[in-house]
Amino acid sequence: MSNHATAYDAHRPLIDLIPHDSLYVSDEEDGFYAREEDEFLIHPKWKAMLQQTSNRIPRRVQRYLAIYLVFATIAWIGWRSFIGPTYNEYRHEIALMDSTTTETFGANLRPEFKGIIQVKTMDKKHLPVKNKRLVVVGDVHGCKEELEALLEKVGFDVDNDHLILTGDIISKGPDSPGVVSLAQEIGASSVRGNHEDRTLLTIAEMETAHTPLPGPEENANRTDDSLDEESFSHGDYKVRKLAKQFSKKQIAWLRQCPVILRIGPVSGMGEVVVVHAGLVPDIPLEQQDPYQVMNMRTIDLKTRVPSENRDGTPWEKFWNHRQKKLPAAERVTVLYGHDRKRGQNIQKYSKGLDSGCVGGGHLTALVIDSRGKNKYVQVKCKKYVD
Amino acid sequence: MHIPLLYFNIFLALPRLTISRPTWPEANAGDIRSLQGLTRLTRDRSGKRGDPVDKYFHESTFHSHYDGRFAESVLPDTERRDALSSLLRTYLSTMSTIGAETWIMHGSLLGWWWNRKIMPWDSDVDVQVSETSIQFLASYYNMTVHHFNIPGPPGSEEQAGRNYLLEVNPHWKDGSTEDYLNVIDARWIDMSTGLFIDITALRRNKHAESNGLDGHMMCKDKHVYMAKDIFPLRDSVFEGSPVKVPYSYAQLLEEEYGKEALTATEFEGHVFVQQSMEWTPKKGKKAGS
Repeated sequence: MSNHATAYDAHRPLIDLIPHDSLYVSDEEDGFYAREEDEFLIHPKWKAMLQQTSNRIPRRVQRYLAIYLVFATIAWIGWRSFIGPTYNEYRHEIALMDSTTTETFGANLRPEFKGIIQVKTMDKKHLPVKNKRLVVVGDVHGCKEELEALLEKVGFDVDNDHLILTGDIISKGPDSPGVVSLAQEIGASSVRGNHEDRTLLTIAEMETAHTPLPGPEENANRTDDSLDEESFSHGDYKVRKLAKQFSKKQIAWLRQCPVILRIGPVSGMGEVVVVHAGLVPDIPLEQQDPYQVMNMRTIDLKTRVPSENRDGTPWEKFWNHRQKKLPAAERVTVLYGHDRKRGQNIQKYSKGLDSGCVGGGHLTALVIDSRGKNKYVQVKCKKYVD
Repeated sequence: MHIPLLYFNIFLALPRLTISRPTWPEANAGDIRSLQGLTRLTRDRSGKRGDPVDKYFHESTFHSHYDGRFAESVLPDTERRDALSSLLRTYLSTMSTIGAETWIMHGSLLGWWWNRKIMPWDSDVDVQVSETSIQFLASYYNMTVHHFNIPGPPGSEEQAGRNYLLEVNPHWKDGSTEDYLNVIDARWIDMSTGLFIDITALRRNKHAESNGLDGHMMCKDKHVYMAKDIFPLRDSVFEGSPVKVPYSYAQLLEEEYGKEALTATEFEGHVFVQQSMEWTPKKGKKAGS
């Protein structure tokens, strides 16, 4: 009996032992399984082909391909977001610098002022020939000790060398009258900087009685010390105090400093000119606006109007660009100071020499020898102002 | 019969009698009455009637750049230019003699910048004075008449010369910009043409100073400046006369009028001709239009 039962059990398929209603276990609907043969994301035939091909390409090549693709994407984004616009801006700037419009700065009658000399030409005897040298020094600002140290360092020889100062030799620093005296003694040339300009104008104002003449009820001998007068331009107290330090001789020397000093032809450099701040290209020296020559930092390329703020294109960038367009004989190199922030700034046709001496930077000298070779010599300065 | 007729005649004559009596129209009497002997006009064309009571200077009823107490109409263009030039030169020479500090600003400074002359389409001159100067003018020179040997406009009574009146606004003492009716501190008036120069005093900006800012200046017309941009003044020439110009003239002009004002050679129907350095009327266009 038990054998029969065993035999029976052995022949019966196990599936029959499972209760009927619990056989269906998937909770998916029937439609889920109803996909037809040709409904694939990629047809199995294609998939097989792709796999075949990709198997033939080495894994390494595939990896590099992916990396290159990523690089290409980054490059494209970089071009669109940064390099492209910068390049366009650059091209736009070049186009503006090359353009010639009829309505540009300098069409007016150049402003002229009493007591301001526009252009002077340096005495030919100072030109660097044979063993003579020109020593051009940036903004001294009353740092007499540093100037003396610098002259010693370049081995300044009063008989052979000529010192040229790029203006702003006074104010801020410890010994402005001393610098003027030193310059006078060694027969130096200087241009008028914005600090000389302001100080000399203040001196002129102090010389003429700018307070009204005494009224009928006032004492005719009334004397107003313009230094202490507060209601009028009281902010200029510092300048008036400085103005009082100079002797008549020193003032006279400062007054003869021109806004523009024409050096003349220097072998190896061509025509050289010294100013305090800058020049607008394509305008004759006699036509340059004196205020701008003493104050400019940038030029607006569209209108060619210079400005002392930093919004436009640096004037020396525009200057160098324009010089390269001129025939070699007409190119002019400008030696200047004024821009302490940009510091020593040497380009082919512009040499910025203000390296912030009075603020604890350096005092820079450009030494030009008879072969037109330029050498830069510096001394470290004490910090007199912030 | 005769008596009614007499009454009737008297009745008819009465209005004529009242008309022939030298009277001044009540509504705008003040100014012109006080100027009897100084002006040849009897009717005041100053805009006083329409102006607020607190306003001191009145522009004429026919043009805002003429004084209605001294003129009845605007001048032709060429005459106006000559008159303006004389007005400016007499002003500068008088201030220089007195010792009052003054300098040119705004449109006049722009004219100076282009060619040392008043721009041909300008009908006024803008000058500023220092605070000490306005105080001095108010104390000793208010309502003074200054005679110059400049022939007046053709056909006028002033062939022998011209008189100019320096009038200071009593409100000059009030330095507040809230006194917007009296932004002009003084006037230099051509008594034969009614043209005038507006004089504004450059004051210390008390508001900025109270905020700890130094060197800030202002005028009652709400223009603000840095003292270092105005002072020290420069000596130049304007309309052939010595003149003072603010220190940072180029920067002030750019701030007020923009870069284009320093480069555009076509303006107000005029072209700036390089050869002559003059603003000349455009061909086919009326000058000053």
